[in-house]
Amino acid sequence: MSNNRNSSINGELLLLWSLPVVVFIWFVSYLAFPGFAEPMSPQMTPQEVSAYYFDSKNLPQIRYSMIVFNWFAVGLVPFLALIAMQMKRMEHQTPIFRYCFFGCIAGGPTLFTVADLFWLIAAFRPDRDPAIVQMLNDLAWITFTCQVGYLVSQNIFLAVAIYLDRQAKPVFPSWVGHFNLLTAAAMIPAAFAPLFKTGPMAWDGALSFGLKNLSIGLWIVVMLIVVGRAVYKNRANHCSAPKSDNGVAA
Amino acid sequence: MSASQNVAAAPPTRSKLQKLIWNFHNNPKRELWIAWYTIIVFYNIFGIVFFGITRTQPPPPASLTPREIVEWFADNRMGLLVGFGVIFFMGPIVTASTALIAYSMRRMSVSPAFAHTYLILYSLAAVPGMLLTCIVLVVGAMRPDRDPQLMATLYDMGFLAFSGTMGIFLIGSVIWAVAILLDKNNILPKWFGYFNVCNALTEVVVATCCIYKEGPFAWDGEIAFYINLVVFGIYTGCFITYLKAMIEKEDPQVDYLPNKV
Repeated sequence: MSNNRNSSINGELLLLWSLPVVVFIWFVSYLAFPGFAEPMSPQMTPQEVSAYYFDSKNLPQIRYSMIVFNWFAVGLVPFLALIAMQMKRMEHQTPIFRYCFFGCIAGGPTLFTVADLFWLIAAFRPDRDPAIVQMLNDLAWITFTCQVGYLVSQNIFLAVAIYLDRQAKPVFPSWVGHFNLLTAAAMIPAAFAPLFKTGPMAWDGALSFGLKNLSIGLWIVVMLIVVGRAVYKNRANHCSAPKSDNGVAA
Repeated sequence: MSASQNVAAAPPTRSKLQKLIWNFHNNPKRELWIAWYTIIVFYNIFGIVFFGITRTQPPPPASLTPREIVEWFADNRMGLLVGFGVIFFMGPIVTASTALIAYSMRRMSVSPAFAHTYLILYSLAAVPGMLLTCIVLVVGAMRPDRDPQLMATLYDMGFLAFSGTMGIFLIGSVIWAVAILLDKNNILPKWFGYFNVCNALTEVVVATCCIYKEGPFAWDGEIAFYINLVVFGIYTGCFITYLKAMIEKEDPQVDYLPNKV
């Protein structure tokens, strides 16, 4: 047991279980940000946007929720790196899909952080010209709503990697691949939100806001379960077989 | 290993779809081919969106007045919103290109640090170099009645982010160049190593776009735009061809780089 890295404390489970904590913090910040609880309409005039931000009740909530989001948005990355570690155990000829996945995982949280900064900047100076506040608010919402590309791409690369994992006991069952493609497809309408100011496609609509955020939430819950199972199964296997290839990520 | 499965069977010749399905199941190089075809898909869509649908390439003049910029946004409104919507949901599949180039360096006799540097550098290159441009131009296009001064700010942000994101491509090309020139496994031709340096130099030349609004040094000028376009066009054509040759040359029984490394 002593020469077995997997069964000793290697921090893997800590990374895994950090995700529910991070997601709980997101959920609380999500409820705290008044712009999410009831999404701001893209139809608001510059004066309405400015009044919304600098309303004495909204302003502290906008600032504090966005500061917390800023701290914890990238908290998703350790979990994504854990998925990359599972991809390493797949029966592939080359590391190409793992490289593709690595290329995507920083993008989503980074762009969310950019959107978060635009919200904070918009809320910074009450005496700013309302037209500029509206522009910053547009930048925040467009970045937040439309930047689904990294998430879509990482889901597609993961799905193809799962389909090509040809071993008797694959790391993930193939329905996880289908699920990743399905959630990727559900995020696509959000990319076209700027074409609409009302209706389900607008940034506050049922597709661009509701369906997109729901699929991200569902993806996190389902992936936490399947990745958790894969991690525990792998650790159990390595307890009986002392040799481990679970080394450093390439 | 799946390499042994395919020695017996030959691809069916009846239809293209059958061939495709056969290759997905049996081709020992299917992982590399999927990455390579993803690059082809990306550059086609990139070309159609930037040159065709949004008409942001070749870029409109840096010298436009705010009033003319408002008109430019109005003329291209639908193109910008639809075209960049496509980039928003599928632009990041360009990481397949980064991954395959990083893989080419992992096959070389150089330290894996070269591949890792390239992978990390280019993974976020699309954020300032492409997506930021698309975001601010979409924000400009979504409200045609916005104050012309703000429209001009968004316009400048868009085109300067696109042309002015230089360092990633400069250092990235130099890393690939050095790896190719030091490599003893002959993965890619040596002259292409020097051509990478040439591509890196275009990123030096383009720096003038941050200063000049008119003439050959502006972001739409003969030097800062057209020379770069020609070099980048040839460069992209070359690396796509050479990566294809690399995959074809690779013997999966002998050369392949296992996923475990």
